[in-house]
Amino acid sequence: MRYIQRQSAFARGLHWIHTIACMSLFVTGLMLFIPAVASAVGLGAMQGARTVHRVMAVIFIAAPLLAVVVNPKGFKHFLKNMFYKWDAGDKEFMAKFFPYLFTGAKQHMPEQKELKSGQALSDWMLFAFAIAISISGVFLWLSASGVAINGTLTLWMLVAHDVAFVLLGLMMFVHIYLGAGVFQPYRGSVRLMFGDGKVSESDALYHWGTWAKEELAKGDKVSVE
Amino acid sequence: MAETAILYDASKCTACKGCQIACKQWNQLPAPLTAEEYEFTKSYQGPLDLDPDTWLLMTFSEVSMDIGVEWNFMRHACFHCTDAACEMACPVGAISHKDNGAVVIDQDKCIGCQYCVNNCPFSIPRAKVIGGTDYAKSFKCWQCFDRTSADKDPACVTACPTDALEYGDRAEMVAKAKARVDTLKEQGFDKAEIYGENEVGGMHTIIVAHRGLEAHGLIRDPKVPVATSLLDLAKPLSAVGVGVVVGALGFSFAMGSKYKRGEHSYDEKTDTWTIGEVE
Repeated sequence: MRYIQRQSAFARGLHWIHTIACMSLFVTGLMLFIPAVASAVGLGAMQGARTVHRVMAVIFIAAPLLAVVVNPKGFKHFLKNMFYKWDAGDKEFMAKFFPYLFTGAKQHMPEQKELKSGQALSDWMLFAFAIAISISGVFLWLSASGVAINGTLTLWMLVAHDVAFVLLGLMMFVHIYLGAGVFQPYRGSVRLMFGDGKVSESDALYHWGTWAKEELAKGDKVSVE
Repeated sequence: MAETAILYDASKCTACKGCQIACKQWNQLPAPLTAEEYEFTKSYQGPLDLDPDTWLLMTFSEVSMDIGVEWNFMRHACFHCTDAACEMACPVGAISHKDNGAVVIDQDKCIGCQYCVNNCPFSIPRAKVIGGTDYAKSFKCWQCFDRTSADKDPACVTACPTDALEYGDRAEMVAKAKARVDTLKEQGFDKAEIYGENEVGGMHTIIVAHRGLEAHGLIRDPKVPVATSLLDLAKPLSAVGVGVVVGALGFSFAMGSKYKRGEHSYDEKTDTWTIGEVE
């Protein structure tokens, strides 16, 4: 069977780092979000959670920024996939996506490029929420560290941080459900970021038909197993 | 325990600062003791603002009036609001209402995030890093809950030599304050007002401001910040969001669980896309 190398080792490494940072931030953030958790775990655990939250926040922000510096080519590729004008196929995909998701994938979906329009939309949202949570988090950290920041501004940063946390958390549920292949028609996609980054010819054609045909024709990323 | 309140009558206050000292003494709060330690404030008000070791501060507002410059005094400390913004903002549940209405910070739970400091419309809580640790904690008046729960008056009340401070049943304190305002008006204090009866859901410090709220440095019609109210809404709304998303994904999972598809293959030479039989 033929396989296409879809994700590079660099992309997978970055994804691993961000996954660990995200999960740690989510858990420690949850401890700070739900008072009952704080009461249950006690002060020592809460102070530990705050420290972990800050260390992971640095990784969360620094890792992608460093990746841009180290691998500008990869960043350009990422931008190219994110910024493109949707054609009829992209719009049709999005129009059919929710019926597809909730009716057992019975919709016939149009062929997609390297990034499905739904993926691009989801990435955009993740990107926007990540920026919002990062900026507001830096403000909150500075404020708690004694830097003189206007109290009202700090308060709104806290609101922004909470809102971004909730939205990002909800998006992560969907991201994991689809990306890790919990959804039956997406089975196997976990290999892309947590395995060797390869996708089978069959899965590639099913998910990203246009891209798969191009890659199979070019052949430089294709291997046989 | 019935709702209680401290009644502060500014018209009876001489600003002797006995209450301020009693607060320091009972709560074992350090104070600068030498001239070198103490910053000269050019005012009888000292320190100039509340701090983590000063939970009650007598303020001296100098106001130019017909009779010359007058001092308007105020007991500046936590008002123990019913709608306490600090409590709403605390992410770890360290701030809570006692049955008598006192708003108390549990130091064993406080993580020093200082959200209460930013949320209080009166800027009452103050934070400091605790010696020997890297972590801050917030501090403010707790209405001497250790004393009141043992049927004793708060320390500040016991120290007042002019009966400007009283402590008791909240309804009784409100009634006394109203009666006092009426008396003051009869005596020519036209601007005399009561503060705390209804503000931010009703406070557990009731104030008689004989020269009007502004003259005593009080905020008229204080509100819980909009942002704080949003924070209070965030938790139930996010619980609904999680329920909806998890429910939707569960439904999607169930609907998709029997999905099968045949193998897709592509012949790039003939540009032919084949889909195999479903197994």
